[in-house]
Amino acid sequence: MTTLASEPIAGRRPLAARDAISRWLDREAVFSWLMMALPLAFLFALVGYPLADGIFLSLENRPVAQAGTFVGLGNFIEDARDPVFWQVAANTVIYTTVATVLKMVGGLALALVINQQFRMKNLVRAALLLPFIVPTVLSTVAWMWILDPAFSPVNWALVHTGIANPGPSWLGNPILAMCSLIAINTWRGLPFYGITLLAGLQTIPAELNEAAMIDGAGNWTRFWYVTLPLLKPVILIVTVFSVIFTFADFQLVYVLTHGGPANATQLFATYAFDIAMNGGQLGRGASVALAMVPILALSIIGLTIYMRSRD
Amino acid sequence: MTFSERSSQPYSRRQLLKSAAVGAATSIVGASRGRAAARGLTLIHESSFIKNFDAYFQNTLAPAYEKLTGIKVSYELASVGSLQTRVTTIAETGSGADLTLNFFNWPFLYDQKYLDVSDIAEEVGKQQGGWYEPAKEACVVNGKWKAIPFGNVGQLMNWRIDWFKEVGFDKFPDTWDELLEAGTKLKAKGRPFGFELGHGFGDNHGWIYPLLWSFGGHEVEADGKTIVLDSDETARAVDFARKFFKQTMLEDVLGWTDVNNNKAWLSEQISCTNNAESILWVAKRDFPDIAKVTGQAQNPKGAKGRFHTLNSWSHSIFSHTADPAAAKAFLKWLCDKPQLSAWYASAETYYQPFLHGYDDAPMWNVEPRNLPFRDALATAHLPGWPAPVSRAQSEVIAKYVVVDMFAKACGGASTKDVIATATAQLKQIYSQT
Repeated sequence: MTTLASEPIAGRRPLAARDAISRWLDREAVFSWLMMALPLAFLFALVGYPLADGIFLSLENRPVAQAGTFVGLGNFIEDARDPVFWQVAANTVIYTTVATVLKMVGGLALALVINQQFRMKNLVRAALLLPFIVPTVLSTVAWMWILDPAFSPVNWALVHTGIANPGPSWLGNPILAMCSLIAINTWRGLPFYGITLLAGLQTIPAELNEAAMIDGAGNWTRFWYVTLPLLKPVILIVTVFSVIFTFADFQLVYVLTHGGPANATQLFATYAFDIAMNGGQLGRGASVALAMVPILALSIIGLTIYMRSRD
Repeated sequence: MTFSERSSQPYSRRQLLKSAAVGAATSIVGASRGRAAARGLTLIHESSFIKNFDAYFQNTLAPAYEKLTGIKVSYELASVGSLQTRVTTIAETGSGADLTLNFFNWPFLYDQKYLDVSDIAEEVGKQQGGWYEPAKEACVVNGKWKAIPFGNVGQLMNWRIDWFKEVGFDKFPDTWDELLEAGTKLKAKGRPFGFELGHGFGDNHGWIYPLLWSFGGHEVEADGKTIVLDSDETARAVDFARKFFKQTMLEDVLGWTDVNNNKAWLSEQISCTNNAESILWVAKRDFPDIAKVTGQAQNPKGAKGRFHTLNSWSHSIFSHTADPAAAKAFLKWLCDKPQLSAWYASAETYYQPFLHGYDDAPMWNVEPRNLPFRDALATAHLPGWPAPVSRAQSEVIAKYVVVDMFAKACGGASTKDVIATATAQLKQIYSQT
């Protein structure tokens, strides 16, 4: 403050300017953008830049550790000519559709059950989250043992009850391998659906159900005309998330089958990784990864329109 | 609010943001100064299956080099499966480790990001008995050594000596046909074979390529352009594989990755497989009774001879290293006989040296059952052989083109169809690169 006192004129001017800047900064419109700048920078750095770089890469013939040459849509044309690419696309669509439907139906059933009053309700709800909490790689290794023909408790049970001898080859048979992966993905994703839908169920006012009951509505009618319509916005959001996560699934397949047997379980994400990282073709890998985007976008838009149209 | 009032207040959100930014900037500057001041090298390596091997570098070699030169060498470990991702990141960004371990044909893939180390390779070769010819397949790129060969992690046959004896085989069958005969008898007794046919890392290629070659089949001509997979030889190899699968194996092998055959072997589910030395190593450590009856042998012969896969492990220097002379001096020191022989010996013979000077090294006496791994070196080749190393070859492996051709046939598809699909894939891959 001594500086201010000894140099009143020189000191006041910057002070006034500083106050003006402060006032400007305190304006809602300015400050809100300032506060959003950091998250936006993060979003740009961690999502925007990699996406833009991915798009750029997909338009190049870009061997690893070498400069790329622009090839336009060449990589996408090559993808279309690759028979495995179409197998991968079909696998991914089947995997996502079946797993999402199972998770949606199962998750809804789960939510309805745990929404009832019973003893140790909270403990059961917490325990249900376990498959979701355990790191995927760890739970996948456990599944690897469960599905191993020599050590599988499932096969042991099948053999000892005389249902099948020898037990099925869960990961060696192409159809069973896909079914096994869908089952594990459903097991892992069910709690997410269950708990989120449970939260949705708890927001439905009890009076609506009571009123319906007084009007003589049975359990099914109340579920169909009261619960389900009110739950629809939550179902929509959970399904969109689930479609995205399932479509881009990587860890489960990579650890368990690595796309085998003979590409029967190869998905977009694992195929793209193999081409880019193991094959050293970054451009081709990026084009396979990006091929996911339009299909994913279309399915999400379609889903949203469908859900909205039924409101 | 006056200036003095404002300054006496606790930190506002804005001041906090500003301070945080200044702090972060200071720490970045500080860190980069620290890096510049430190004198050291970093070598990135696989986390070895043989723990002694990594420990020997960390506890003996690195301190010895630091004592000698004052240069600290950091030994950064990556899992076998993630090493390529790490090397790709380092090569692409031009920052990170100074030296790296390579697998297979990486010296070719990352050629432009590696220093020429021909002078070291030639000197080391001259001093230690000369290089095995196949080592050059993986390390010499356009006439220049881009890596110093280290060792081969061979894939050979592991067989149950006691069970083979029970069906009349006192030694390992010399030909594929004899192996089929032994396997048929063993499967009938509930002791099937287990050869990986899924999307693993190496246990699938380890027997599939040698099988194809021993029947005379190849993917590409030596010119690296002409696709020759669609041949009678390939068809015979595929037909044999289907029969071999049906008569000797478990169905599950179609979905196996590299862990499965080890697990099946150590739980006595299978009587024969194809693997690195690690099966015997683990058996000796954890299952001594199984170890006693575990035999190792070279791959069987076919009409066109006996073959093995070249799983070349080698060392390269990234061109972005701050001090190329220091990195080369270190690599040369590491390859000098006193250091190299002791490092090899720390892993017994898990890494089979590519230098003839070690053909009769004492480490081979530790476990004579490992000797076939040494003898297999002369007939080892990279997948894609006899075509020279190429990017296309990497893509073929990454897409499991050849493995899946055999796997689909074993799963029931016709020989004609599987060869046609694989040929179409090869043509597409080789036409682009």
